Amino acid sequence: MAAVDSRGEVLDVQALPLPYFLLRVRVAAMEPAEPGQFVMVAGANRPEPYLRRAFSVYDQEAAADGSLVISLLGKVIGRGTEALAACLPGERIPVLGPLGTGFHSVAARSPGYDGSGSGRAALVAGGIGSAGLGLLAQALARAGRSFDFFYGGRSAEDLVEAETFRRLSERTGGRLVKTTEDGSAGKRGLITAPLEAGLRASAGYTTVCTCGPHGLMAAVAGIAAASGVAGEAATETPMGCGYGACLGCAVTLKNGGYALCCRQGPVFRLDEVAW
Amino acid sequence: MSGDTARPSSPDLSTRVGPLRLQNPILTASGTFGYGLEFAERADLHRLGGLVTKGLSLEPLAGNPPVRIAETRGGMLNSIGLQNIGVDRFLSDVLPGLKDLPPKVVVNLFGYAQDEYVRLAERVDPYEGVAAVELNVSCPNVSKGGIEFGHDPEILTGLVRRVRSATGKPIVVKLSPNVTSPQDLGRAAKEGGADILSAVNTFVGMAIDTATMRPVLSTIRGGLSGPAIKPLALRIVFDVAREVDLPVIGIGGIETVDDVLEFLLAGASAVQVGTALFRDPRTAERLVGGLGERLRAEGIPSVDSLIGKAARPE
Repeated sequence: MAAVDSRGEVLDVQALPLPYFLLRVRVAAMEPAEPGQFVMVAGANRPEPYLRRAFSVYDQEAAADGSLVISLLGKVIGRGTEALAACLPGERIPVLGPLGTGFHSVAARSPGYDGSGSGRAALVAGGIGSAGLGLLAQALARAGRSFDFFYGGRSAEDLVEAETFRRLSERTGGRLVKTTEDGSAGKRGLITAPLEAGLRASAGYTTVCTCGPHGLMAAVAGIAAASGVAGEAATETPMGCGYGACLGCAVTLKNGGYALCCRQGPVFRLDEVAW
Repeated sequence: MSGDTARPSSPDLSTRVGPLRLQNPILTASGTFGYGLEFAERADLHRLGGLVTKGLSLEPLAGNPPVRIAETRGGMLNSIGLQNIGVDRFLSDVLPGLKDLPPKVVVNLFGYAQDEYVRLAERVDPYEGVAAVELNVSCPNVSKGGIEFGHDPEILTGLVRRVRSATGKPIVVKLSPNVTSPQDLGRAAKEGGADILSAVNTFVGMAIDTATMRPVLSTIRGGLSGPAIKPLALRIVFDVAREVDLPVIGIGGIETVDDVLEFLLAGASAVQVGTALFRDPRTAERLVGGLGERLRAEGIPSVDSLIGKAARPE
């Protein structure tokens, strides 16, 4: 799949509310992203911040004219995300993508590992990490493959798009499980607690897919390994270019080597990464 | 494509950099464009004047642990640690795909000991597709070797002399900006037999994460690049070009046609584009097109007529 560098037209930016936002961009000639793939984007005509930002494609829709409308779900945390949240409809912004290795391709490159097998899946998101699981949830729902969506955050407002994940999971006979650290939505506590309970209760999971803070993904990797369940994580590192040129986005693997988050990743098997 | 350069009114973008003849003065800098071919789908390689490979060592190197990069105002710090596939794999797997393209291929070489540079030069010497070697004697990101060769004039002269005896290829020495007088190192490189100087490598810097209260980079220090260093690099190119009798390739934060012109006027015979490629992978080819348009618009006949103009009396 060839990534294309082009200018996308900003359709709108929704505050979800802020600091969370949903940016929709129409890109004339971009192939649809695979679940877990990302794009490199920046605000319109801005000298700063200097580098583009990596965003998972959260949602996408092919338009009749052959263009692709991509949705990027983000949280304003610094200058890059600030610039994107401030985009105005009609502005043209650089979009390079789709980039990286997604959930399906990780399964394909791992002999003996059936990433998109027939069993049930547990999707585990920490906060805005849900953006990296949007296309995967849709793909599983389309394939009629049952999944539960475990969604953890600090507070109720951190569980953006929760209703979308509830709808998608319920369509497959699964459910949405929420936790918050302050107890304002779902059970008080960390999302790893219900995940662990679910795995112990033999909910039939054959795959765990996660995206979120490093600590959460590391914990999920440990829990999955203890239960003998395979899985994948959509990782995140600081990125210079997103396309393999700068070699800046190294992820340390268990075998002692490094892999580039932007090329071999961002999705890795849970048991590949030295968490 | 640049088919219109045949028109008599079109400016002549070609440039001579010592023994190297380039179709235009725009090269990609080492470590910013991989080995060239990975990015064929994102950039029109044919249009470039040349490309400089990622630094190659005798054996493949895994590079530094994360975190390797940190964005800064107007640029970034990197501490990649010279991750590369090794010279042999480059010669067998990558060079065949590059050698027939119009851009000249400059192979960047890096060793932990003088002997390694010599062996690297011997390895690439028989390959016709290698137009020149660039010696990385100024990488700030490895714990031993490298940088010391570029910071001591006597050692540098000796190193270049040994490489000189190992290859007939043009030798480019990439100067460190992290010295008091880069021109002294330039003179030392010339004395050892260098043909060309490239200036400059990254400036040593650092960043601290105020949340963790720890340095951002795993190696603490890293190399600063991007527009933030352009005036600093330009000053060094100006001094080196005036004081050392060797052609210079300018490097440092180049992103616009004006940046290219400034470096040419300061005395560079060509330039390398680096960090700007991360922001926009088509920067180098865009500059080739933009430079031609600019010269035509201003009635400037050739790149050659601009080189060093700012250093000459009016």
